[in-house]
Amino acid sequence: MSDIIVVEDLVKKFGDLVAVNGVSLKIRKGEVFALLGPNGAGKTTTIHIISTLLKPTSGKVSVAGYDVVRSPDQVRKKIGIVFQDPSLDNQLTGYDNMYIHGRLYGLRGRELHEKIVKLLDLVELKDFTYKKVMYYSGGMRRRLEIARSLLHEPEILILDEPTIGLDPQSRARIWEYIRFLKKSYDITILMTTHYMDEAEELADRVAIMDRGKILAMGTAEELKSMLGHDVIYVTLNNDNGDICHFFNFTKSCRSLGGGKIELVVDNASRALPEVFRVVEVHGLRITEVSYRRPTLNEVFLHLTGRELRDSGESHTTPVLARRRWM
Amino acid sequence: MSSSLDALLAMLYRQLKRWWSARSRVIMTVLNPLIWMVFLGLGWGGIFSSQNIPNIPGLSDIPAMAEVIRKAIDSYFKQTFGGVSYVTFMVTGIAVMTAFMGSFISGISVIWDKQFGFLKETLVAPAPRSVIITGRIVGDSIVTTLQSMIIVLLSTVLTSELILTNIPLAMAYVFIASLGFTSLGVVLSLRFSSMEGFQMVVNLLTMPLVFMSGVFYPVTSMPDWMKALTVFNPLTYAVHSVRYWLVGSSTGFNYMNPWTDLAILLGFTTAALSLAVRAFKKATLED
Repeated sequence: MSDIIVVEDLVKKFGDLVAVNGVSLKIRKGEVFALLGPNGAGKTTTIHIISTLLKPTSGKVSVAGYDVVRSPDQVRKKIGIVFQDPSLDNQLTGYDNMYIHGRLYGLRGRELHEKIVKLLDLVELKDFTYKKVMYYSGGMRRRLEIARSLLHEPEILILDEPTIGLDPQSRARIWEYIRFLKKSYDITILMTTHYMDEAEELADRVAIMDRGKILAMGTAEELKSMLGHDVIYVTLNNDNGDICHFFNFTKSCRSLGGGKIELVVDNASRALPEVFRVVEVHGLRITEVSYRRPTLNEVFLHLTGRELRDSGESHTTPVLARRRWM
Repeated sequence: MSSSLDALLAMLYRQLKRWWSARSRVIMTVLNPLIWMVFLGLGWGGIFSSQNIPNIPGLSDIPAMAEVIRKAIDSYFKQTFGGVSYVTFMVTGIAVMTAFMGSFISGISVIWDKQFGFLKETLVAPAPRSVIITGRIVGDSIVTTLQSMIIVLLSTVLTSELILTNIPLAMAYVFIASLGFTSLGVVLSLRFSSMEGFQMVVNLLTMPLVFMSGVFYPVTSMPDWMKALTVFNPLTYAVHSVRYWLVGSSTGFNYMNPWTDLAILLGFTTAALSLAVRAFKKATLED
């Protein structure tokens, strides 16, 4: 498989703020690749550079063989993008939004009309074709945007948080389309998400991103196998840093701070009695205990010491909003 | 090249479609100038005519004298307003004012697009920024020219002195001027982040420009300092040329004629358009 998107040592600074700090990745033709990370990790900035909306501070990005800085127009023809925030014209109908997009990409006439009808049918918006977008629900708008991004038959589809702010039903529908596209179209999908289940469900490969850096990359299975089989979390009443040497029977032990310890074991149900015994022998008390089969959330916790779901740091301002006039 | 034309037409289609899909707003844009036309035009129209001049005691004894004075007054007004009644004089100016106000306000749609995200859709399209912004400016200018034409057609109810066959020519001038004013509106709206700020500046700027252009009164009867400012107001030339075609006489300074008007308007529009293109490129390209 050949690489369709190649990012090398990408750095993007906004003044003093380093949004992307040395990211390198290769996305293979035909795969679904997910950038997983909390808000403010630099996912959207990375996407905006790949889609030519922003210029990199340093580093190299090529899409389908074209450099994003030197031949942005060529890159734009190859990609379809669904932004995190809606980018539709609410005053116009779904059809007109599609039509204008088609004309912007050089499509016209009967061919354009047929494609619009087909795609609106695909995303189940046929009955709303001539309704103004302002009357669409959030899920319908997202679906219209997906249909629109496919209109010019891009080689790469970029989805920035495709299900953010949607109800579970709409979310499941979007997932269905992504699976359908993967199966039926010859298309590469690059998506960002902060939902680990989304990345795990849809992506062939996942890159975990935090604070402008990629911490790990691979299939969901590969990432999870970094942790072994089961993970036990024990919180002790005593925050003692060198408590780990008591647990020499586990595969690995790491203090996460605040008395919380992460133990990786083969089988949690068998290891737990031994954990309780060891703690008691050393005169400590357990205030909380839990164990999980590792998910990407545990991988993220392992890599950063924070939970993915509660690292709601300052929300990244959409790139265009940074400018004084915007 | 052909893809640029496609993109231009796409933006043009979008601006027109937006206008058409908000028909209730269309009525509003016409209503405001209509109120000016009817009330100010007919209100002042009565003053600028000898009909309502009261009889001066004693003068009615000499009918010939009264007739001469009446004629003198009438011919003074006619001369002042280019050989037509005040209503006719003013509606031709209002037609241009409509396009002028509309053009400036349409610049605000750039801010709307940013707020509702559509701007990004156009920025990832494989078309140069210059084409995207030019397409929208041309589209908006067609819209404001159409609004101006509606005003001219409606004004035929108030006056029968307009040269209707010259409407297309007059509208060509309105269109050229609209391109320039829409461009200025775009430049301003790119400078101001908020809708409120933009609106304030527009109000602050448009009112004096309208009053110093000869919409409501001839530029020749202004005080000297105002005349001096009027010369630098592009709207003056739009008003003069449109009035020239619709009324058939010149009401400006000596150097003004349809050709100098055209040259000045073309120069202004070219400059404003290139300013708008530059501002748009700068605002949407980050290094």
